[in-house]
Amino acid sequence: MSDVKAVNINIAPGDTRPIFKQIVDGIRMQIACGNLPVGAKLPSVRGLAMQLTINANTVAKAYTELTNQGLVEARQGLGLFVSQPRQQLNIEEQRKRLGDAVQAFVNDVAYLDFSAEQITEKVSVALNQLATNKENETRNHD
Amino acid sequence: MTKHCIETFQLTKTYGNKTAVNQLDLAIKTGGIHAFVGSNGAGKSTLFRLLLGVASPTSGSAALLGQDCRNLNTEIRGKVGYVNEEHTLPTWMLVEKVVAMQKHFYQNWDQNIYERVIGYFDVDPKQKVAGLSRGERAGFNLSMALAQSPEILILDEPTLGLDVVAKQSFLEALMFTEIEKDSTIIYCSHQMEEVERVADNLVILEKGRLVNNSAPDEFVERIRSWVVDFDAKPLDKRAIDGLLSAKLIDGQHHIVTLDQTDASFRQKLEKLGAKEVQPMGVTLNSAVNAFLSKNHNVPA
Repeated sequence: MSDVKAVNINIAPGDTRPIFKQIVDGIRMQIACGNLPVGAKLPSVRGLAMQLTINANTVAKAYTELTNQGLVEARQGLGLFVSQPRQQLNIEEQRKRLGDAVQAFVNDVAYLDFSAEQITEKVSVALNQLATNKENETRNHD
Repeated sequence: MTKHCIETFQLTKTYGNKTAVNQLDLAIKTGGIHAFVGSNGAGKSTLFRLLLGVASPTSGSAALLGQDCRNLNTEIRGKVGYVNEEHTLPTWMLVEKVVAMQKHFYQNWDQNIYERVIGYFDVDPKQKVAGLSRGERAGFNLSMALAQSPEILILDEPTLGLDVVAKQSFLEALMFTEIEKDSTIIYCSHQMEEVERVADNLVILEKGRLVNNSAPDEFVERIRSWVVDFDAKPLDKRAIDGLLSAKLIDGQHHIVTLDQTDASFRQKLEKLGAKEVQPMGVTLNSAVNAFLSKNHNVPA
């Protein structure tokens, strides 16, 4: 049995993000939602390239980006692994990203027939769920 | 190994009054997959014919693996593979006879690669070439080209007319056979989705000239798309730098620009009287489309 954790991403033809960015975002999402727990081994560059039928250099570029962001780390001769979460962004940048995300979310829900209370309720349930998943992952890992 | 496997200097080829390749200076780095893109008649196939030495330049010169294309010796020819869109093959011959002939020509022939790639296609060695479908001929041609273990592999619209499975097999064979490590692949296609998946480098030709030679992502970065509201005023096209295309949709101007990536461009538009400026995402397909449509022929 392989020790590689399968990565569930699809390359969308009409997407305006370049393919390497789609991979970076896809893997980051999988890490955030717990599908790729800390310590999980990512597919090899060639393996993921074959899975998605794309040039291996594109996967290599995405993996470099993920490594630079501190989300994964290379272990010599073994491959690439999801690393312990470590905050790479300074507080300014984090504030900016949170602001952008909130703005985008508000735009999406603005035309729906829900009250502000109903929406914040949904959001806090989802956030709690995320926190529980993360806790479980850490416990399983230890 | 030379740094550039293909180099041309002021390369020009004319057919009657038509200039197919126009003072082209091109250098292709050794290694990787280079996609060649351009409108019909941009000079791609002519360029390949010049590189392979089957046509001679009107002026200028070209070199393949460091040797002048007008007198390539057999050693260099043996290092170059070529698959054209027609998949021209001797129709009267049996498949196995064609393979035997090719083996004889190419000293680096790798039978394992041939078997691996041809396995994706339903081609019987005892079959006559005339009996193969277009897709099967494409697969057969590619199998032979890859088995030659060429240093340069030139593919001119190789997936044209292939079904989805054959196309997938073709791309897999191209990217994941051992060959891609030591070869430079020249990949000519109109399918941007394919180009985005396979290419390390994007070469764009327009009317026989080189207009882009960079990674696909970098090219897309040069193109910006905007939706601008000028309050239904007509657009002064000359006032906008780097304008590639402009369309009026529902009273708003949808414009695409080249090399206007800085924030000051938005201010420029606002100075021109724009009420609202909305930047839009650009895909490789839409970027190439906008880029080529600027000088593309349109009915008078």
